Amino acid sequence: MNNLDIISINIWQIIISLANLVILFLMFKKFLFAPVKKIVAKRQAEVSALYDEAAKTNDEANSLKSSWEDRMKTADEDADKIIKEAVEKADRRSEVMLYESREKAETIIRKAKAEAERDKADAQEYIKKEIIDVSAAMSSQVLGREINMEDHRNLIDSFIDNLEDNA
Amino acid sequence: MTLLLLILAIIPLIAGVVIKIMFVPASSGIDITGAHIFFTIDLPMGGLPITEAQVNSWLVILSLFFFCLFLTHDLKTTDMSIRQLIAEWIVEKVEGLVRSNMGEFFICFAPFIAAILGLSACSSLLTLIGLFPPTSDINIVAGWAIMTFILITYYKFKAGPWIYIRSFGEPVPFLAPLNIISEVATPISMAFRHYGNVLSGSIISVLVSALLTTLSQLIFGKLPGFLGEFPFLRIGLPAILSIYFDLFSGCLQAFIFAMLTMLYVSGGFPEDEYFKRKRMKEAKRKQQNVQLENTNGGI
Repeated sequence: MNNLDIISINIWQIIISLANLVILFLMFKKFLFAPVKKIVAKRQAEVSALYDEAAKTNDEANSLKSSWEDRMKTADEDADKIIKEAVEKADRRSEVMLYESREKAETIIRKAKAEAERDKADAQEYIKKEIIDVSAAMSSQVLGREINMEDHRNLIDSFIDNLEDNA
Repeated sequence: MTLLLLILAIIPLIAGVVIKIMFVPASSGIDITGAHIFFTIDLPMGGLPITEAQVNSWLVILSLFFFCLFLTHDLKTTDMSIRQLIAEWIVEKVEGLVRSNMGEFFICFAPFIAAILGLSACSSLLTLIGLFPPTSDINIVAGWAIMTFILITYYKFKAGPWIYIRSFGEPVPFLAPLNIISEVATPISMAFRHYGNVLSGSIISVLVSALLTTLSQLIFGKLPGFLGEFPFLRIGLPAILSIYFDLFSGCLQAFIFAMLTMLYVSGGFPEDEYFKRKRMKEAKRKQQNVQLENTNGGI
C-alpha cells in the first residue's frame, strides 16, 4: 500500500502535527509579533516624545509672546513719555534761544545806533570844516584879499549854527 | 537580503512540487486516496509513516518562517516599507480579532491564533499549486484540535480543580454524562469539520472532473485522433469550482477553526472564579508576609 487510507488515525502523526503548530506559534511569536510590537512601541514612544517637545516649544513660544506683548504695551507708554519730555525740553530751549536772540538783536541795534550817531557827528564836523575852508577860499577870491582866517571861521560857524537852529 | 528571504520563502513550495513530481506516481482517472507514503519509520503503535501531508506541512512551516523574516527583517520607525506595513497590519488585525473575541486577558493568544490561521490557510491553499493539502489528512487537523482541547482544559483548570469538576454538573448534576461527551466531542468535531470540508472539496473536484471527462468523451468521442480523447468540457468549470473549494473554503475553514479555538478557550475559562481565587491567594500571601515580619520582629 503506497497511499494512506482516507481516514487513518496515527498517533505519531497527530503528535507531530501538534508539535508543528506549537513550533509555528513560537516562531510567529518570536519572529513576527515580538519585532513588530517592539517597533510599534518604539514609534509610539518617539511620537509621544515629539508631542511633548512640541507642547514644550509651544509653551515657550506662548510665554515669549505674552512677555513681548507686555513689553510692547509698556513700550507705547515709554514712547509717549519720551516724546512729551522731548517736546517740553525743545519748548524750553526755544524760549531761551528766542530770548537770547532778542537780546542780541537789541544790543546790535543799540550798537549800530550809537555808531550811526557817532558817524553823523563826525560827518557834521567834517562837512563844517570843509564848508569853512571852501567859503574862506571863495570869499578871499571874491574880495580879492586875504581875510583873517580866524574871524572867518567864527563867522561861518555862527552861520552854520544859525542854519542848524533854523532847521 | 530582502529578495533572498523572499526566495527562501518560495523555495519550500517549489521543493514540494519537485518532490511530488519525483516521488508521487501520477494518478489516473478517479481515485480518492489519502496522502502518499514516502517511507515508514518503525515506532511502536503502528509506526510513523512519513507522508505527503507531513512533508507539505513542514514545507509550509518553513515557508512561513522565511516569510516572517522577510516581513520583519528591516523594521524602521519612520518611512516604512510596504513589507513592514503588511507585517504591522497582520499583527494589528490578529490582535484585534483576539481582543474582540477573547478579551484583554488572552492577548498572548494572538501569535497562536495567527499560527492556526497561517498554517491552516496555507495548507489548504497548497492545492492551488497542485500539492496535497495537509488539512485533508485527519491526523494533521486532529493534532491542532487536540492542542485546542489541551488549552481549553488548561484554562478551565486555572480556577482550581474543584471548579473544573463542578462545571460538569451544570446546570443540573444528572446532565454530567452529556457534558463530558460534549467536552470530548469538541476537538473531534473541530478536527472532522476542517478535515471533512477540505477533503470533500477535493472529492467533489475529482468527481466533477471525472463526470466532465465522461461527458466530453460522449459528445466529442466521434472526432478523429487526439481531438476525440481530449476532455474539452474540463476547461473552465473545474477552475470555478476550485475558486470555491480551494480558495474560499480553505480560508473560511482556517477562520472557523481559529474562531472556534478562541471562543472555546475564552468561553471555558471561568474568569470571575479565577480572579476571585487570585485575589484570595494574594491576600493569603500578604497575611503570611505580615506574619513572617511579625515573627522576625519578635526575634
